[in-house]
Amino acid sequence: MQWRRLNNVLHRDIGYLCVGLTIVYVVSGVAVNHVDAWNPTYQVERRTAPLAPLAAADLAPPVGPGRLLMQLGLTPDYRTTFRPDSASLRIYLEDGTVDVDFAKGEATVEIVRERPVLGAVNFLHLNHPKRLWTWVADIYAVALGLLAVTGLFVLKGKKGITGRGAWLTAAGVALPFVFLWLYR
Amino acid sequence: MRTSRILTPVVAILLAVACRPAEPPGTVYGERPTLSDTTLVSAILTDPEAYLDQRVLVAGTVVEVCEKRGCWLQLAGDQEFQTLRVKVEDGVIIFPMTARGHAAVVEGVVEKIVLSADEAREQARTHSAEQGLPFDSTATFEPTTTYQLRGIGALIAD
Repeated sequence: MQWRRLNNVLHRDIGYLCVGLTIVYVVSGVAVNHVDAWNPTYQVERRTAPLAPLAAADLAPPVGPGRLLMQLGLTPDYRTTFRPDSASLRIYLEDGTVDVDFAKGEATVEIVRERPVLGAVNFLHLNHPKRLWTWVADIYAVALGLLAVTGLFVLKGKKGITGRGAWLTAAGVALPFVFLWLYR
Repeated sequence: MRTSRILTPVVAILLAVACRPAEPPGTVYGERPTLSDTTLVSAILTDPEAYLDQRVLVAGTVVEVCEKRGCWLQLAGDQEFQTLRVKVEDGVIIFPMTARGHAAVVEGVVEKIVLSADEAREQARTHSAEQGLPFDSTATFEPTTTYQLRGIGALIAD
């Protein structure tokens, strides 16, 4: 039949077009799904280092913070500083922070790095680019819908939508309803 | 003749682009702030009830960002040791961790958060988990009232 041939061609070609984006959304989707267990976008490294007794005046900008950073084995460049309270100071670096606790005589260095692949796919998945990417993502969503619908009619006979396909489709449609019933 | 027919619209477009009003450098999160007058963080924190449910524009340095979801940030106030928390809808606006230490202007509505002792404990526990910080389970908590900004949009300097 002519319509089935057209259906299968659409299914095949939309499938090819969607492979790249599907991989982006699959990888990012799984990563972001487990945000409670880890940080999917950034790698955060923390280390503490003891400091010689310090007073707030020792760390007064612009010289003080740079001197402390050099003591910690870091480059003396910093973005800005902030005093959360009278007993501490936070120094902002290009890629992290240094928290100085005057009472404890301790510095906590936190270096933040974007995860190379995950950072990029999450950037797209979470629609940070906005603008034209919003359209691409919307078109992709519609394409996925077309893939699903055309997929129903790829095969005919016992393995098609009138046979086994009907049961599997019904199971797939029922799945969200089961979880809505369970958790809502 | 033909060349000028092609060149004229190209030059017009280039001029239009070049003459666009200059936008402040930075990245917009959520809606672009529209208010022109800023309100001091210290003014809000001194008399928060006077600003309750009002739309305000505040400016300051981003001193902390929600590590996992980017769903809140803390803005340094104009006075020492002061910060104002800006909460945004999860997943709608996502502040990057790299915003820390950058200047920002944020527009939002001042809101009041009243927490029971149990809710304050749960909030502190969640905050520690989000920021990868230790949580003292033996600490006692009192009912608290805090004020924050329900963020609508922010412009954070690059």
